[in-house]
Amino acid sequence: MVKQALLLVLLGGIFAVFYLVTEDLSELYNNFGKTYFQLNGLLETGSRNLVTAIYLDYRLFDSFFEAGILLVAVAGIIWISKHDLNEKNAQFMLDRYKTPDLFITFSRIVYPMMLVFGFYVIINGHLSPGGGFQGGAIVATAILILYYIDHDRETNIKQIVTIEKLVFFLIVLVASLSLLTRGEFFTNFMPLDSSVASKAIYLVILNILIGFKVALGLWTIFTAFLREGR
Amino acid sequence: MNPLLTFIVVLIGFYGLATSKNIIKSVFSVTIIESGIILLFLNLGNFEGGGIPIVGESLTNIVDPLPQALMITTIVIGSTVTALALMLSIKVFHHYGTVEWAEVLGRKDGE
Amino acid sequence: MIFVPVYLVFVPILAAMIIFLFQKPKMAYLALVAQGVVTVLAVWYFLTFRDDYSQTFFTFGGWNNLIGIGFRNDAISISFLFLSIFIWWMVLIYTFNAKKDTRNFLFFLLFLEGVFFGLIQTNDLFNMFVFIELTTILVSILVAYEKAGDSFRAAIYYLLLNTAGVLAFLLGIILLYYSFGNININQITTMIASSDLSETTTVRFAYVLLMSGIAVKSAMFPLFTWLPRAHAVAKSGVSALLSGIVVKGGLYLFIRISLMFAAAPYDTSMFFFAIGATTAIVGVMFAMTQKDIKQILAYHTVSQIGIMMMGLSSTDSLTFSGGLLHLYNHALFKSLLFLGAGIIVNVYKTKNIKYIRGVFRAMPLLSILMIVGMLSISGSPLFNGFISKSVIKYGLTDAQYWLLQIVNLGTATSFLKMSQIFFGPRTLSYPLVRKREYLPVALLAVACLTMGVLHVPIADFVLDVDLAKFKPISLQYVFEYGLMLGAGFLLYKYVIDKDYKPVQWIRNFRISFETANYMFLLYFTVMIGVFVVYPML
Repeated sequence: MVKQALLLVLLGGIFAVFYLVTEDLSELYNNFGKTYFQLNGLLETGSRNLVTAIYLDYRLFDSFFEAGILLVAVAGIIWISKHDLNEKNAQFMLDRYKTPDLFITFSRIVYPMMLVFGFYVIINGHLSPGGGFQGGAIVATAILILYYIDHDRETNIKQIVTIEKLVFFLIVLVASLSLLTRGEFFTNFMPLDSSVASKAIYLVILNILIGFKVALGLWTIFTAFLREGR
Repeated sequence: MNPLLTFIVVLIGFYGLATSKNIIKSVFSVTIIESGIILLFLNLGNFEGGGIPIVGESLTNIVDPLPQALMITTIVIGSTVTALALMLSIKVFHHYGTVEWAEVLGRKDGE
Repeated sequence: MIFVPVYLVFVPILAAMIIFLFQKPKMAYLALVAQGVVTVLAVWYFLTFRDDYSQTFFTFGGWNNLIGIGFRNDAISISFLFLSIFIWWMVLIYTFNAKKDTRNFLFFLLFLEGVFFGLIQTNDLFNMFVFIELTTILVSILVAYEKAGDSFRAAIYYLLLNTAGVLAFLLGIILLYYSFGNININQITTMIASSDLSETTTVRFAYVLLMSGIAVKSAMFPLFTWLPRAHAVAKSGVSALLSGIVVKGGLYLFIRISLMFAAAPYDTSMFFFAIGATTAIVGVMFAMTQKDIKQILAYHTVSQIGIMMMGLSSTDSLTFSGGLLHLYNHALFKSLLFLGAGIIVNVYKTKNIKYIRGVFRAMPLLSILMIVGMLSISGSPLFNGFISKSVIKYGLTDAQYWLLQIVNLGTATSFLKMSQIFFGPRTLSYPLVRKREYLPVALLAVACLTMGVLHVPIADFVLDVDLAKFKPISLQYVFEYGLMLGAGFLLYKYVIDKDYKPVQWIRNFRISFETANYMFLLYFTVMIGVFVVYPML
């Protein structure tokens, strides 16, 4: 009891200090980055969506390891969850008769729409809100719905993991192309002074690859969990 | 939304970590801290009338796009940490038959 | 040429993935090839830029360096690079087995290597966060790799506690971004030096957040509770890697962030010296009472981290490089001890030092190598631990000197206790030890001796400091060490060996997860008190 009271006092103290910090921040606020992106973002990267411009060009190196974290976690979860990677499985853990028919019917309607929406978000990542990571998550959710519709589905995890690794290779390869064309690591392979439209080629390719990779990674993760639930 | 409110979310997460006696609850406390931090980062850069950071959509004053890009990374990292932690806690449950910290940590080595 | 750091990061990672994709045990040789390529690249890079490290800076994509992610190197990061390459070689040779299917293990091991190189060389705070989190995830997978109950509970303890720390680090980065407008370490260093921004509450608060996150990662008091758990249950090769180099990643961050705030008017050296001394004494107290051979070594890592902090917290450049030197030396002798202990545990099938007897008769070569490691860690003249401890001692005041001596006494006691495994009749007829496992242990022992005797040219070459006034041996040093051993023996004989109630209590004392987090908040609040509230008063 004393411990909890002291804990609340500690948290209150931290909060009080943070209150001073927010007072402070409004004066300190430095908008160097914001101004830079607003002025140069579209011209330098060819992306109207400045968020995409950052994670596919200015800070592409971070995105590799963001994809890499998913890769490692997938490999780790599969290793931890079972001994044999070759085992075919992923049976749905819920009983078919307990899933309401209404839910299954609606899932059938929603599934193609979600898939299309996911692809739309991935492909238009440089024009509208979205991108590879977000769209990949949507596509993965759509695949998850597939398990509701047809719960006898079998998934060959090994194949997915192999494809996922190959896609990661491709991402590194596409990003490294700029070393040949521009002499710089991890940026757009189109020359810096080319038009916005031609720069978009690179953005679309990379968004699709990342979206693919994220979808496959998340798919593997929840397949591993479904198997645990058996 | 006020940054102070989102900081309270972070503190709730820390409170959960410091009091919860259950592994699953600890995993969710970490998730709460993370959500709080993501909201905080986006909130601190937000201001009244700020436009979305897409060229051509909002003409004058946009919000800072960098926090949004960084937070995508944080979300992905957070979800993988949660997934890994949940898988580990499933395995802990398989070995010890419980997910209470005290019981799990109290066993002698080699079970 | 300037892009060599990128290759250093990606060669191990891509090799890891190729090994994972091709499911032939023979592919394990690719790991050795990749390791060789990394070594050659690193040596080449070092020889090119040795004279002028300011040329090593570059930004990915050639963007404005305040916008893009940059890599840079200096003497400290290069020496870390070589140290980690060396330890990874040793662990790779130790665990190498082309007959069994080890591709999962090699995948995580090599991926961790690439990520660690990135962590060392990055010049961007958020990129640093990504690398730290990736290391945390990889280490927890490696700890859980054995798939026993206690490795799972250690892994989840490690993962959650460290993630909480890393998230505090992220919160600090956020506040720094809004106050400085960028997250480039070099730029923030210059801005702190040229403006008085570092005196505002925000930047002070951010500093506290960064440092408390690092305190978890580098296992400082009172947040070291994850370390003995994780390091004692992992495979011996992994334990050597974790204790030898990965936990130093936290200390490396400490050095980086301290250098970043070097121009700020914070009074850090007293606080971190106190933390270091407490860590060292508490760690050694736990180590003295343990009976599990790997627990002893893991708690010694905690106490040695305390000694390194005593050196690193100093503003005096000689004492600071003493701390750095002790960090390198500790990596060498602790890996040696963990690998050697791994062989012994494999042969005797028990970790309890009570039941291990007659190692010297059964495995004389291994015993000699282990004794080299023990002499190094307890600070015997002629060995590397002695040199770095003397450099740290040189800069201390009298009271601080005695604190260090107490730690040394504890170290001597616990290794006297551990050395009882060597004595006694031979209990095993013919120990099955693979010859390959001896090689890294022997190489590490040679490295310990080399660092102990040739410390002057090595320190001059790598860190550019002159250590000529520290002699490796003299009659006085030998006498002092003998006195220390005598006192240690008495302490062992009359206190530890009697197994009094307090000794048992300390041995079985474990901190629960929620208390560990409670202490994290407590530590955090104390830091706020010292660095934010106190200067305002």
